[in-house]
Formats: sequence, C-alpha cells, structure tokens
Amino acid sequence: MSRPHSHMPLSMLLMLAWRNLWRQRRRTAITLSSIAIGFGLAVLAIGIGDGSHNSMVRNAIQLGEGHLAVQAPGYLEAPANYKFLADGRALQARLTALQVAGAIEPRISLQVLASSANNSSGASLEGMRIDSDPRVAMLQPKLIAGQWLTAADQRGLLMGDGMARRLKVKVGSKVVLMAGKQGGDSQAQLGRVRGIFDSHVDELDDYLILSDLPFARYFLEGEGGVAAQLPVTRFSLFLDDPQGMGYWKGVLRTALADEPVVVLDWHEMMPQLVQFIVIDDVGNYVFLGLILIMVLFGILNTVLMGVLERTREFGLLRALGLGRYQLLLLVLCESLLLSLLAVVIGWAVGGGAHWWFSQHGIDFSALMGGKTAIAGTFMDPVIYTELSAERVIQLTLLIFCVTLASGIYPALKAARVTPVAALRT
Amino acid sequence: MALLTLEGISKRYRQGEVEVQALHAIDLTVAEGEFAALVGPSGSGKTTLLNIIGGLDAPSSGQVRLDATELTALSEAALSDFRLFQLGFVFQAYNLVPVLSALENVELVMVLQGRSDHERRARAEHYLELVGLKALMHRRPAALSGGQQQRVAVARALAAGPRLVLADEPTANLDSENAEALLDSMYHLAREERITFLFSTHDPRVMARAERIITLRDGQIVSDQRPHAAATA
Ligand SMILES: Nc1ncnc2c1ncn2[C@@H]1O[C@H](COP(=O)(O)OP(=O)(O)O)[C@@H](O)[C@H]1O
Ligand SMILES: [Mg+2]
Repeated sequence: MSRPHSHMPLSMLLMLAWRNLWRQRRRTAITLSSIAIGFGLAVLAIGIGDGSHNSMVRNAIQLGEGHLAVQAPGYLEAPANYKFLADGRALQARLTALQVAGAIEPRISLQVLASSANNSSGASLEGMRIDSDPRVAMLQPKLIAGQWLTAADQRGLLMGDGMARRLKVKVGSKVVLMAGKQGGDSQAQLGRVRGIFDSHVDELDDYLILSDLPFARYFLEGEGGVAAQLPVTRFSLFLDDPQGMGYWKGVLRTALADEPVVVLDWHEMMPQLVQFIVIDDVGNYVFLGLILIMVLFGILNTVLMGVLERTREFGLLRALGLGRYQLLLLVLCESLLLSLLAVVIGWAVGGGAHWWFSQHGIDFSALMGGKTAIAGTFMDPVIYTELSAERVIQLTLLIFCVTLASGIYPALKAARVTPVAALRT
Repeated sequence: MALLTLEGISKRYRQGEVEVQALHAIDLTVAEGEFAALVGPSGSGKTTLLNIIGGLDAPSSGQVRLDATELTALSEAALSDFRLFQLGFVFQAYNLVPVLSALENVELVMVLQGRSDHERRARAEHYLELVGLKALMHRRPAALSGGQQQRVAVARALAAGPRLVLADEPTANLDSENAEALLDSMYHLAREERITFLFSTHDPRVMARAERIITLRDGQIVSDQRPHAAATA
C-alpha cells in the first residue's frame, strides 16, 4: 500500500523542539543551571577522588616497591628470607640491557628480630641503596632525629619513631638484628641507630628498619648467597611514565621468561591499596548516582510539565496529520536538546571547577588534622583534582543517557494524546 | 457524485452508568463544492459529527466515505495521513502553534505533506494574501488578534489543498465584525478554489452566508435546507 504519508524533516523537528524548549525560559534555565551545578559538583568529587587516589598510589609506589617488582616466585604469597635472587649481578645486567625508562633499584627485604638493651621486637629490615633509592626521597625529609646514612657507614640503621619507642632506643643506640636461617640456625648482626623518621604511616614507622645494601646482604650470605653475585630480594622498577606499566611488565615477563623470577605490578604487590581505592570510589559513585537522579527528575519535571501544558496543542497537531511517532520524536528531541545543553553547560561548570582545583589544589590538611596516612600509604594534604579522558567520556555518556532516558516517559505521554480528548478541553 | 457520504452514523458515549446517544443513525451526503452549515443548539451533536467526518473520532456504527475511501476501515496511522492530505480543519480557538509565525503555521502542514520549500512558501503567501494577512505573516499567534488567528487557520487549511474543510464553530470566539470577515474569506476561497466547506455554527448571521443549512437536534437531522439567496455575498 503506497498511500502518501507524512514527512517530518529533521530541520523542522529541531526547530520546533528548540523553540518549545525556550517557551518557559525561566523553567528551562533553572533546570539547566541545577543540572550544571550538580554535574559540576560530581565532576569535582570524582576529580578529588581520582586526585587523592593517584596521590596515594604515587606515594605508595615511592614508599613501597615501585611500579614493577622482580622477585622470587612465592615470595609475595609467603615472604621468607631464603627466597631471594641469588645472582643479582647477572639479573641487574639483563634488566639494564632492556633500557627500561626509569630507575631499577636492588632491594633486600628480611624478617628479623630487633633487640636493644631494653626490649626486642619483630621488624622488617630493608636494605637499599641509601643514596639513590626513591624511598630515600620520601623518608629523608621525615627524619626527626639523627642523620641519614652515608655510604661509608656499614653498620648504620634508620628506623621509624614507633619502632624506636618500642625498642626504647635513641640515635646512637646499639641494636642487634637476628634472622632465623632456613636450616633452623640463626644469625645476627650488630647495628647502630643513626636516625629516626616519622612518616605518619604506622605500617612503616612501627616495623621498618633501613640499612645500606651490604649490611642486609650479610644475612643473604648466611642463607647461601654469594657476596660477589650481589644477591637481592627484588629489583624494584620506578618508571618515568606510570602509563607505561603494562607495556614494561610485558617486556620484562617476556625477557625474563627463562629466569626463576616473577614480575609483579603494584596492583599485585599492594592488593589492600587497590581494595581501599575501590571501596572509596563507591562513595563517589553513590554521590554521582544521587546527582544523576536529581538530573533525571529535573529534566523529567521540565519536559513533563511542558507536555502536560501542551495537551491541546498536541491534539491540534495530531488532528492536522502529525503522526503519533512524529510527536513522540518531537518530545524526545526536546529532551535531547535539553540534555545536550545540560552536558555542555555541565562541562563548562564542572570542567572549569576542575581546572581551577587542578591548578590551585584543595588543602585538606585542616580536615585531616595532619593525619594523612591511609591504607599503608599517605595522601598529600593538598589535592589537585585529576580527570582522565576515560572519566570525561564516562561522565559525559552517563549524564547524556540519564537525561535522554528522562525524556522517554513525557514522550510516551505526548504520543498517547488523542485529538478529540485534547481539543475538547 | 457525492464527495462525502454518511450512512447510519450513530455515536454513543458512556459516562459511568449513563449512556448518552450523541448521534442517531445520521444519513447525509455533501457534494463537491458545497458551502454547508451544520446548525443546532449546544449539545445537539455538531462537534461529534464533525469529529467523526474528520476521522478524529470513530462512530459507534455506520459508515463515512470521502470519495471512495471508507474512513472507518482505516488504521489510526492511515487516518492521520488521510487527514493530512485530504482534510482541512479550523477549530474554535487555539488553532495555531504558538512557537511558529503565521507563515510557518501555514507552511507546517505542507512540510508534513513533503512539498518543496519553494512551493510551500508560494502557496502560504498566496493564501495569507487572500485572507488579508500577508503583511503580518511573520508575527507569532500571540501578536495576532483572535480574528486574525482564525484567518491564518483558514489559510492553513486551504494551502494544504484538501478535498474538504471542516470548521467547528470557527466564529464562536469572534465579535460579529470579525465573524463576518472570516466568513467572507471562507466563502470567497470556497468559490474560487471550489473547495467543499462544512462548518458548524449557531450564529444566525453566519448561517445566513451558507448555501445549505443542515439542522441537528438531539443527534438527529431535523431539517436540510438550501436558502435561495445564498450566493450574493
Ligand atoms: N466525550 C464525551 N463523553 C460523553 N458525552 C459526550 C462526549 N462528547 C460529547 N458528549 C455528549 O454528546 C452530545 C453532543 O455533544 P456535541 O457533539 O459536543 O454537541 P455540540 O457540538 O452540538 O454542542 C452532548 O450531550 C454531549 O454531552
Ligand atoms: Mg460543539
């Protein structure tokens, strides 16, 4: 059947929708501004969340084992002093040959018993290059007593204030570190406290003892390591570009496939931090959800009121021969334009706020009262909002879909208008 | 041959327990080019009848034919397109889309018909000129008087090139001067374009312009007259 049928050119549809949108200028303006403000707040909240998480992750990586760690298989699951990389020298050479864009730090991690004249406590001894390791950069400014180690100082130790308090030691005190050997014997070394730091991260302050590599390596020798081979527990890689982590992880895994080592990224090394971020993100998503609900009802209200007020007009249009679906399309188009405007204005507000705080930062120190340690790392007191391209796309799509969805009911309502009923009113 | 044929049209409305019989087995034919008035007191069934003829409402029983098309057999979507291409409507008030200018209102139906920009514009201006509103064609309805708005509605109905124009009390909201001006416009157009007009009214002065007066009472046609002197307007 080829009867003539009605045409609704897009230009006409858009023109009508646009003009209809501005029939109630004030209402549309209020709706748009509330969406823009809500969206701006959501963008800011997400930006602060991402900014603080990224700051925590950056700090955790610097304080911890870097972006990537190369260590013995099974160490992560059950750390033990005897699980070390025997030929550190050869491995270091292979890693260096890969020309990883970043720093490669040899490290020795040991479970020890630290004893002073007054007390003893379990501790984790970390041997590292005391002049170049990124941990130095993080902890050196946190020194509250004594001095940082020097390369010539073969017996020097650094520890957190929590550990120092437990052992009841001061700068200059002697500390004996004892480690159980795999065979059942034990070995011990005498060290001297050179400095005490306070990182405000309890996990570090209460358990960490730092030394230069040779001091720690002595224990590995006791486990069968050969000093000339420079045995280490792991190599920590600090990448210049964190985005390249996945790439370098692949490169390392391939290159070291024949070695008895595993290559782990920080997600695998610090699962509790990943978990914390996921849980913290939930809060942000709840906030975002509330904003979206507000947006949904804002648009629903505006468009639905516009529809209910125009029942008569819709009846007229239907009488003149405008099809049911064309009317549906017209009202959907009004929501679409409203949501487009909302997204644009929302981004102008949210993006503007984000830009400002990404430059100037938000100072949370008063709020956190100096206690910035969370989940084994710490948050910088001044947070600069961060917004990734994925976030921009995600937020845009979300708000767009929500605003569009809110137009469905009014559109269906409009399409149900029958001319007779509408014209009689 | 009759342009419009009604056979045994009845319409019952149910209002809760009460059933209202708005139309009783109406038979009526309207020939091409007629300028006919549907008159009768309020509640006599004029609007109901016009709505059924216009395919806006379905009769409880009976048939409506325009030329060879049986309206009661058409689907809702087909009826909508039928109205677009075959019928013109002028309602009592609020005939125009408020966000469109007079010119755009007249063009709207032709846009839906798929006519070209050029043709649309030419026809719209032509009919607006005929109803004496070309000078005001860029105004929106809010900036036009009630009489002017009704004339725009007439121009719109005619510009779309319908077979039949239905007007339900088009002068009801107008003062007598405007009412007569509107009727004059309608009559001239009907004569010049040989368009068939069927309009309802209970204004005696408007009735006087009609070539044929069909009187309804309680949903039945009680008289159907052709006053001799109608063609002198
Ligand atoms: N939707 C409706 N529901 C119930 N009764 C209706 C409805 N529409 C019209 N009627 C009744 O039908 C009769 C005819 O009404 P109508 O066609 O509007 O007359 P007129 O246009 O001549 O004033 C009246 O009694 C009216 O109350
Ligand atoms: Mg009526």
